[in-house]
Amino acid sequence: MADILDLVDLDELRKEVREKYREVAQDPTAEYHFHTGRAHALRLGYPATPLDQLPEEACEAFAGVGNPFFWGGARPGERVVDLGSGAGMDTFLAALWVGPAGRVIAVDMTPQMLERGRTLAERLGLANVEFREGFIEDLPVDDDWADIVISNGVINLCPDKLGVYRQIHRVLRPGGRMTVADICLERPVPEEALRDIDLWTG
Amino acid sequence: MIGGAGLVDIELANPVDTFAGANGEASAREFGTLGYSIRARKPL
Repeated sequence: MADILDLVDLDELRKEVREKYREVAQDPTAEYHFHTGRAHALRLGYPATPLDQLPEEACEAFAGVGNPFFWGGARPGERVVDLGSGAGMDTFLAALWVGPAGRVIAVDMTPQMLERGRTLAERLGLANVEFREGFIEDLPVDDDWADIVISNGVINLCPDKLGVYRQIHRVLRPGGRMTVADICLERPVPEEALRDIDLWTG
Repeated sequence: MIGGAGLVDIELANPVDTFAGANGEASAREFGTLGYSIRARKPL
């Protein structure tokens, strides 16, 4: 099989992903091929607390695929990087867990999601959160900065998954941990399907 | 792949039927798609 990086036009894929999640940011309760919102997060196993501390507008655009906090949340004082933070539900949960002594850097490439996240962070009074525009294949985060890296349903949208994991390794401090959620497939996707950008996002 | 990036103590757990009841359920079933929790650590 050909290298996946040779099968996919990365710019075109990013454009599709950005467009899809722009729609979610602007109309989170519309019909998508995936579930969204607080009820979906709870069904995936998210802890009811502190999720219950977030208002509906902080949860309604959540579009994760699993529970990155299965082994527990972040700890007070920790530094967290959220890859593909979207509208920020996981970012806000991390911010509540790490408290004022901790920090959360949320990275996303979709301007409408970043805008939504920044507005909500301000409204929630979460001064320990910073949203940065960027690609998770080239994180705008210093080496060895993070105690924990999180993400949910994002790495599957990147053709260069090894590159993403190398970035995670780079920004984690020695001994730091990655806890993410993502989809895994039991059967391989045919090469012709990998070439179809539309199938990556829906 | 995760190990290839230098991360260790890799663990997958908590499979969930992410797309059950969603519009994308049929496509998800075609490839046996489940959501997983995944963790790993950067060595000291």
